Amino acid sequence: MNWMACELHTHTFHSDGGQSLEELAAGAKALGFDCIALTDHNTMSGLWNKEAVEQQTGMNIIQGMEWTTFFGHMVTLGVKDYIDWRPVGPGDIHAGLARVHEHGGIAGMAHPFRPGSPMCTGCYWEFELRDWNELDYIEVWSTTFAPLKNNNARAFRLWTDKLNEGFRIAATSGRDWHRQEQTDEPLSVTYLLMEEHGGSITDKAVAALSAGRASVTLGPRLDLGVHFGGQLYGIGDAVPEGPSPDHTIELQAAADFEARKEHWELPEQIYTLRFHSNLGMVSELPYAADSKGCNVTLSREGLRWVRAELWGTIRGIRTMIAFTNPIYFDEPGGVITLNDYTISTDHGTQRLYGYAR
Amino acid sequence: MNTLLVNVQGAVTPECSKTHIAYRFFLAKSGGRMKIDFSYSPKNLEDHARARTLIEQGLDRYIEDELREQAKSKWQSYLPLKNLITLSVDDPSGHRGAAHRHDPEQHLFISGLESSPGLSKGALQAGMWTVTLSLHAIVTDDCRYSLQIWHEEDHG
Repeated sequence: MNWMACELHTHTFHSDGGQSLEELAAGAKALGFDCIALTDHNTMSGLWNKEAVEQQTGMNIIQGMEWTTFFGHMVTLGVKDYIDWRPVGPGDIHAGLARVHEHGGIAGMAHPFRPGSPMCTGCYWEFELRDWNELDYIEVWSTTFAPLKNNNARAFRLWTDKLNEGFRIAATSGRDWHRQEQTDEPLSVTYLLMEEHGGSITDKAVAALSAGRASVTLGPRLDLGVHFGGQLYGIGDAVPEGPSPDHTIELQAAADFEARKEHWELPEQIYTLRFHSNLGMVSELPYAADSKGCNVTLSREGLRWVRAELWGTIRGIRTMIAFTNPIYFDEPGGVITLNDYTISTDHGTQRLYGYAR
Repeated sequence: MNTLLVNVQGAVTPECSKTHIAYRFFLAKSGGRMKIDFSYSPKNLEDHARARTLIEQGLDRYIEDELREQAKSKWQSYLPLKNLITLSVDDPSGHRGAAHRHDPEQHLFISGLESSPGLSKGALQAGMWTVTLSLHAIVTDDCRYSLQIWHEEDHG
């Protein structure tokens, strides 16, 4: 399998972008991307010359569309034909998600906490999600210099909360790229680990993101593995139950500072590598750019998921620079059961969802 | 021959936000080109006091408690508030795309070989068509729109 540098949220003048698909693809190529997803608002007509643009620019193009509804924006990838967003009301998103999945696609919340109407119509996610298992991913880093944005920090917390509740949801970045304009701000990349076969790039990207094989960064590509029972498990994998609940595992993480290195800049420094899990931070280690990686041995007891995070200073600000999607741990007890109840608050009635094994 | 299929003017108010207005019309003959002229006005809410109220009400809903006052202090960064109506097209067999963009005046067309960005080219099929106006946001007390749809039979 190959890691591919992807930009998963883009627009052309077929919706409200200020660029053609050719300009977008050429711009992405110049920034060292391997792959872009075209996710125009409510139309797929911008894909009409996809193959020609791929040949002309050498860029791989994933078919997508951003459902730009009154109640939230939802990026969809892999759907071959248009799926109608217009009949979907705030309580109907599961019908929309089902249609996306029936058509072989996947769906993610786009910038779920960006202020919505009337400032940015429908930008804030207001759809009622009754089963988070139906959602494939959350765009937790939106726009440029993403980890500094409060809305993204909130989306990242939402993702972590859902992982803690037992849901296996992927996380991505997306620039929401509308036009070719110079920016000095650091750009995010979502690396997807794609299979090597003759299928389409769209199918490979959908398979990778469905399986959670994603790593997000402003610079070096971060990788994570778990050694258990003589096997090595990678990002997105689920480690099977062990012979005993406290069986020892070895976590290993490494950051590839060669990946797209012409396209980002970090000052010389000692970084911090964190292993974060449902139990909180399980380990924190210093990490140098020339390191071959680092390993931590610990008991798997209580672990449901673990991810790696690289922290450091960029543009004089200390922040998260990269994070992986999790490796999961299967537990006895099986499938999540949904609890569904309602509470009343000053702001009206809300439905709350929990889970139990 | 050019046939005027739809010729309508309408007025919408903020209460119409998040609604759709669909115009269904019959295309008698296949082929040719469909021309859609659509406009609405005003685009921007010029009353800044009203805009500030709407922005602050929005930030009350969208921003967490500890960051809300900071966000409200930058309310002007959200100006101007805009009306947004987008247009989409369905032919008798399925969807023909959308023009999701902010331009308040759009001159669109669809034909067998060409179409405006956002819409899908392909031969026009006789039967019932639908043009839908999606009112994402109406922020002015009064917003007027105009829609004319023509069939240009002799145009390829």
